[in-house]
Amino acid sequence: MKVGIVDYGASNLYSIERSLRYLGANTLIIDEPSKLKEADKLIFPGQGSLGSAMSHLKQIELFEDLRRQLTEKPFLGICLGLQALFSKSEEENAEGYGFYKNEISMFPSDLPIKVPHMGWNKVFFKQDHDLFENIETDTRFYFVHSYLLKDFDEEKSFSTTHHGIEFISSIGDENIFATQFHPEKSGEAGLRFFDNFLKWKP
Amino acid sequence: MTVAVRIIPCLDIREGRVVKGINFENIIDAGDPVETSKRYNTEGADELCFLDIDASYENRSTTLSTVEAVASQVFIPLTVGGGVSKLQDIERLLERGADKVSINTSAILDPSLVGSAARKFGSQCIVVAVDSKREGDKSYVYTHGGKNKTAFETSAWIKIVEGEGAGEILLTSMDRDGTKIGFDNELTSSIANDLSIPLITSGGAGSIDHMIEGISDGKADAVLAASIFHQKEITIAEVKEGLASKGIEVRL
Repeated sequence: MKVGIVDYGASNLYSIERSLRYLGANTLIIDEPSKLKEADKLIFPGQGSLGSAMSHLKQIELFEDLRRQLTEKPFLGICLGLQALFSKSEEENAEGYGFYKNEISMFPSDLPIKVPHMGWNKVFFKQDHDLFENIETDTRFYFVHSYLLKDFDEEKSFSTTHHGIEFISSIGDENIFATQFHPEKSGEAGLRFFDNFLKWKP
Repeated sequence: MTVAVRIIPCLDIREGRVVKGINFENIIDAGDPVETSKRYNTEGADELCFLDIDASYENRSTTLSTVEAVASQVFIPLTVGGGVSKLQDIERLLERGADKVSINTSAILDPSLVGSAARKFGSQCIVVAVDSKREGDKSYVYTHGGKNKTAFETSAWIKIVEGEGAGEILLTSMDRDGTKIGFDNELTSSIANDLSIPLITSGGAGSIDHMIEGISDGKADAVLAASIFHQKEITIAEVKEGLASKGIEVRL
């Protein structure tokens, strides 16, 4: 089993690769379309801006192929990888894949909070999911982001987190799961989450 | 219910070893970076900070292999600094496993580096480290590992880099560094109140009470310490229990 990690130029994919290798997984960096078919599962890592990630994917002609595979293989989006599934982000009005119509918005500026939301925050599980196996609700995961998903379908929202306001910190939809938090930086809890992803059979 | 205060042990690195000095001088050996990082991770460190303290002064680039060794075994955020002077340095550090890089001297030499780095890699991975020293009732920024004084007042400089797109400020009081008499909370609170990005306070932690004061009085979002953790005087777990007992949110 090979886990493909999508390389869009400016991400921390190596942290994800190191975590997965630590767990004994085979990994593959996907930086051209031909490598996509070798991967059994896919991870879209998170860091950087949505607009530049999307244009980089188009530049290396990965954009359309990845869209097709997204609906076929077990897929994990992390941070930007969650935001990329949506149609639009307030961040430079960038457009994502548009699987879901909701908009990614900025943290409201009138809240007494620091932005980026940076650090360990509680993830409250709204529903059970295979990827939450052996992890307790309200466990703290590591977050780094300035944009968020405020509203989403109840049945596809798997957790919420609070930083000034409540937002959706993970979503799930058949073979797709995506988190606003960074499992690769979340210590023990993150490793457990990744281990669940390696075992996951959606 | 919000984001937890972060406890960040700092590993000052020289020639591949963890070292610690007092007031930026009298450097002594304090252990192996990988072993020390693993111990901190086990104890509950929320992040690690890794500063190659000679890199800037001697114009060396940071020891990439040490970064990689730590990043392969410890899966919490890792900030690396020392000798970061161009975008390529940042790219290389991120490739080897750093999550954030801290820029200090080079930001003073060229403040636009902060902006271009933030645009290329995202604000979240650009930490500006500020070494500050008091002079009368003012504080000034120092560079090159605390060796050179600049004309910038600390608070003014921090507003400049915030405007450039820094994601976080690591503020070290040179007057307190290594002294174990507590953080310079007067300085940090005056800056934190006027800052929209997270502030890490550093320099002077000697007890659990100091950590509590750094948050409650200093208004910092995170506390950084080196010597008390290296010398095993206090464990990270004890610090967190202390903070939690005062109602401060921590990751336990």
